Amino acid sequence: MRPRKLLRIARWEATKGVGGFDRGAVAVIVAAATFVLAVGFVGITGGVALEDGIYRVGVAEDSGYHDPVAEDPAFVAVDPDPDAIEGGRIVDDRYDLYIEDRPSGARIYLAESGGEPTGKSRAALAALRQSIDRYNDRRMFEEPNGTAAFPVVVTIRYVERGGTETVAIGEAGGDGENGTETGSERDGNGTGSGGSDAEGRQEPSDGAGGTSSGGDSADGTDGRIGAPSLGAFDLFGTDETAGTPSDIQPPFPFQSLVLAFLFVLPLNFLIQAYGSSMLSERLDRRGELLLVAPVDRSDIVLGKTLPYVLVSVAITVVIVGVLWALGGEAGALSVLAVVPLSLLFLATTFLGAMFARSFKELTFVTVTITTVLTSYAFVPAIFAETSPVAFVSPLTLVIKDLTAASVTPGQFAFATGPPTLVAAICFLFGFGVYREEDLFTQRAIPHKVLDALASRIHRPRSVACVVVLLVPFVFVAELLVVVVLFALPVAVSIPLVFVSIAVIEELAKGLPIYAGFVHARYGRSLPVTLAVGAAAGVGFFLAEKVTLAVQLVGLPGSRVADAAFQTGLGSADPTVVALLAFAPLGLHVLTSTLSALGASRGRSTFVVGLVSAVLVHLAYNVAVVSRLV
Amino acid sequence: MSRRTIARRELQSLSREKTILLALLIQLVIAAFSSFLVVGLTSIYEPDAAEDDVVVGVTGEEADELVTAAAAVDGLQTRRYDGSVRAAFDRNEIQAIATVERRGGRIVVDVEAPQSSLQKTLVVVQLRAALEELERAERSERNARLSFEPLPLPPSVDASPYFGFSYTVLVPLLVFLPVFISGAVVVDSIAEEIERGTLELLRVTPATLVEIVEGKAGVMAALVPLQVLFWIGLLELNGIAIANVAAIVTFASAVAVVAVVFAAALALSVPVRQRAQLSYSLGLLAAFAAAALLPEHPATTVALLAIDSATATTYAHLGAAVVAAVGFAGVLRVWVEGFDPETLG
Repeated sequence: MRPRKLLRIARWEATKGVGGFDRGAVAVIVAAATFVLAVGFVGITGGVALEDGIYRVGVAEDSGYHDPVAEDPAFVAVDPDPDAIEGGRIVDDRYDLYIEDRPSGARIYLAESGGEPTGKSRAALAALRQSIDRYNDRRMFEEPNGTAAFPVVVTIRYVERGGTETVAIGEAGGDGENGTETGSERDGNGTGSGGSDAEGRQEPSDGAGGTSSGGDSADGTDGRIGAPSLGAFDLFGTDETAGTPSDIQPPFPFQSLVLAFLFVLPLNFLIQAYGSSMLSERLDRRGELLLVAPVDRSDIVLGKTLPYVLVSVAITVVIVGVLWALGGEAGALSVLAVVPLSLLFLATTFLGAMFARSFKELTFVTVTITTVLTSYAFVPAIFAETSPVAFVSPLTLVIKDLTAASVTPGQFAFATGPPTLVAAICFLFGFGVYREEDLFTQRAIPHKVLDALASRIHRPRSVACVVVLLVPFVFVAELLVVVVLFALPVAVSIPLVFVSIAVIEELAKGLPIYAGFVHARYGRSLPVTLAVGAAAGVGFFLAEKVTLAVQLVGLPGSRVADAAFQTGLGSADPTVVALLAFAPLGLHVLTSTLSALGASRGRSTFVVGLVSAVLVHLAYNVAVVSRLV
Repeated sequence: MSRRTIARRELQSLSREKTILLALLIQLVIAAFSSFLVVGLTSIYEPDAAEDDVVVGVTGEEADELVTAAAAVDGLQTRRYDGSVRAAFDRNEIQAIATVERRGGRIVVDVEAPQSSLQKTLVVVQLRAALEELERAERSERNARLSFEPLPLPPSVDASPYFGFSYTVLVPLLVFLPVFISGAVVVDSIAEEIERGTLELLRVTPATLVEIVEGKAGVMAALVPLQVLFWIGLLELNGIAIANVAAIVTFASAVAVVAVVFAAALALSVPVRQRAQLSYSLGLLAAFAAAALLPEHPATTVALLAIDSATATTYAHLGAAVVAAVGFAGVLRVWVEGFDPETLG
């Protein structure tokens, strides 16, 4: 690798098409500007109300229930037609709910089908209940007598079990005024702390958008309800909230959702441009000129990738800067955490562009990458506030950074290590197919995958190296499985984890073996087959032991994680730990030999061998691990 | 005639590369991902999804008030404590501490919830339900001092928490994803012919440029209603009843025509795939966001049709979409007829 050549290729890639300011560039800029304007405008005007008018409620104008129905966009108030009610049931399909006012109180009818209330009318009633509750609260803010309107004041603090007492709140004593400045110093929404403006009034909480609600209750004489940031969209999270019961916002991972989109969305556009550029090298043999030039393949690939890496870093810096200006305590850590993620996006797109046969196929590959990697970044980060499993995703580091929480070097390595490794290995395999035979021909994707794997295999024992290279993929895939299944009940998640783990691990060992046979890197005799199987098993075993770091760093005490990584650290018995340390060696050698025996005879027998390997693996997991741990 | 040949060739290449299967699979994954998010997130705070009751330790002079109110909340247990409440919290016997005092004419509740616990959202949700119950009880005691009497709440019923999501997010997602992908494939298909230089070859055949473009765009637009029907069938199998299927399919087809016309026009005027594809996806997302300016967002139109709450506005949007589709297709034909293919690179 020569930096000078690499940089020159990077400059070519970056300045491609910039010289002439062509129609394409104008179109992209216009589209991007329209996009930003449209999203910004819709964001300012309150977003898209998806639930607009999905439930139809028959309610009279003079009914007490008319206002709450009319004020909630999810409902359409329909004029009630007395004929619609017959024998205590709605017989008119214009109504989902029908409110009939009687002197003794209102009566609500639900639309029925087959004698049972429909799912829609029940959902409508549940929504109506919430809506009336919010309406009551809104009316209460107008009451002159604050104590009667809001007789209950709640303060919520989040404390560690058995830990030290957290900072005491500013409780002011006997006059009913309670901690108003709490938690506001880290509040990024510019929410004023309440308590001083006697006429202020609380916005109805809508859970979205950056509405500021430095509000306060109506009564200035006999006590106030200080409610810093309660109804507001609390991007950076506070440790403590206070207010009326309905002001309580349950801790909910909104910030993760927003951040994921903020950081991941630009990457999706970036990989689209990058994928197009890499694939267009393969059209009409355009890349051949560079390929025959005296430069290394890695220089070409990395040089063409570098501008996109820089752009992704620049975008991240801008986002972090904006968040910082908004009051987040984001800094270099956020940028460092997003870089592995963008490398992962680019590396997988590079492999995709190498494998795809046409732009159409590339589009689907890009969408697949987007979906899978977004879930990888996104799902774990949801648990950022609640569980160490969140450190699977680098985005969790960003959230921690924004909330000024500390991150240990171990956690940093745990979150960024696997994606960086996977990105590096994707590029490594990509170099293997960055050659004339693969670039300019129309080979099917599975063949190219085998090509990429086989390019690193030269003799039976190099299968072990390829398997080792695949272990980071296995690791990331298994982490993803753990995270996806983590929220389910243990009775469902553990069996599913066992099955997925067995499939993932056997594929990682079996595919390189098969690739070697297909490319005739070694003979098909029995001794060779056994040697290849043993090499794959040993390679996998050694690399897998690295995953012990999982338990040490990230996931203590998570039963699902223990099932996935079988470290045995969940139990205290040293013999169990020792047994679990070496039993897998036998297992991996056995199962990969099964795959190898199948692979040596052809494709259909390979599938048979692989399936039996998965079954043996599964039986081992169920029998040994679940009995001991 | 040549239009049909072009379309058949397009379909063959799609099925040879198995992209159609991949497309369906991706849409399924995206739908599953969003459903997983909602189901997973709901399980964080939905009391019905929890295996065990939340147990809260209650202490303080007015503890009885909260205990009484909490009795009305399902899945929430309260335990009275006098001194040892923190020890019980530390021993993990209770999931939260509520200290209830009366101060200045109000009931002041101090809640301590666990910082690191997956259950903390559920704990807070359940406590909020109890506290709201307490608030209602206290309010009705002080009714005389209020000018507005709070409306009585309807009874709580057993309703699916995902009902609204299924119709307002899942159905529109599955209707608009095929539209989006179809347009992207049209961009790819036309840009690839131009970049590979095979458009020249196509043009020496009896097919005119209009026929080539319409064949390519038409087949992708025609695939949209098929995919939408497939998704509707799948949703029905999952117990999500979809009303007005014909209207939804018509709407999806109309929007698809608009999208592929936009895609085809872009691919011809920006004959570099990278630029055309970026402009297409940014432009379509911009249009989708800007559609919020319409009286009814297209996603809402689909949701209202599917949930059977369609109004006259909904049908007006449906009609407008069909008119727009016909108009756009006509404009594209006129524009392509006057287009000089020699300007393509």
